[in-house]
Amino acid sequence: MKISVMTDILEANDRIAAVNREIFDSHRNLVINLMSSPGAGKTSLLERTGDALRGKLRLGVIAGDIETTRDAERLERYQLPVVQLTTGTACHLDANMIASALPHLDLSQIDVLIIENVGNLVCPAEFRVGEDFKVMILSVAEGDEKPLKYPLMFRESALLLINKIDLLQHTNFNLEEAKANARRVNPDLEIMDISCTTGQGIEDWISWLSQRYQRKFGET
Amino acid sequence: MHEMAIARSILDIAIAATEKEGAQRITRVNVVVGELRGIVPLQLTFCFGLLAENTIASGAHLNFEITPVQGRCGKCDETFLVEDYRYICPKCHGADIQTVGGTELRLRDIEVE
Repeated sequence: MKISVMTDILEANDRIAAVNREIFDSHRNLVINLMSSPGAGKTSLLERTGDALRGKLRLGVIAGDIETTRDAERLERYQLPVVQLTTGTACHLDANMIASALPHLDLSQIDVLIIENVGNLVCPAEFRVGEDFKVMILSVAEGDEKPLKYPLMFRESALLLINKIDLLQHTNFNLEEAKANARRVNPDLEIMDISCTTGQGIEDWISWLSQRYQRKFGET
Repeated sequence: MHEMAIARSILDIAIAATEKEGAQRITRVNVVVGELRGIVPLQLTFCFGLLAENTIASGAHLNFEITPVQGRCGKCDETFLVEDYRYICPKCHGADIQTVGGTELRLRDIEVE
């Protein structure tokens, strides 16, 4: 006997993600799911963002890490509301993990919540967590062919931040090729060159966040 | 290794659907997977087999239907296969392409006894 099912395999995850999203919306949170490979600069971007947003929008962070709490420790001195999720063996955050973090955050004191996913270019792209936008970082140390090797993450992201741009001259990373590859996979993708070391492009990233917040809630 | 989480979801959905129908054993599970999902069938099969042990799906065959990446042109409405991630309309060369296939991740049906 054949039983017709026709169900999205990740439906259970997506249902929890939709509930998370309602909670975020009711607290007026703009939520970003930040993804990249390990070492591309997610925590450095959060440090820069914490500084640059001060006095404009209140930042909160949920940081996912497989084993350690080092990311949360790095962010401590910025006095941000941070929850560290240690995922154990899981290579990505899913909607249920985010739901479990919410009681530990006062969402009413947060305008922009950045969910720092586990460093990985594949798995995090599959799982919605309740975000408004997925944003990814690719660093010039990684290689310009990455969009074609890991298309789903580039496809799912609204914004691509090309980090460590200050190192460009020391690598064989072809910036134009990288952008062309990314746009082949996702023609709507916005792309910014940044350096979390020198601060280049950080202003553009901050205005992107502010604009998205304004568009969602109509004011800052 | 998102395959483990995906295998878990497939198994949960399949077992729930089977129990609802009052069947005893799952022999085959047919899934539709888009090319863009980056799923490795061999890994997914391995994870599924492991998780299915000692359940009504033990020994069930996991069958994949892989769907290619398809685009629809926003300008001339042409639907075409996107090869090598070239999101350009072959008819009018428009670049306003919407992905209409290749992102599926669906459990289509299950075969039970």
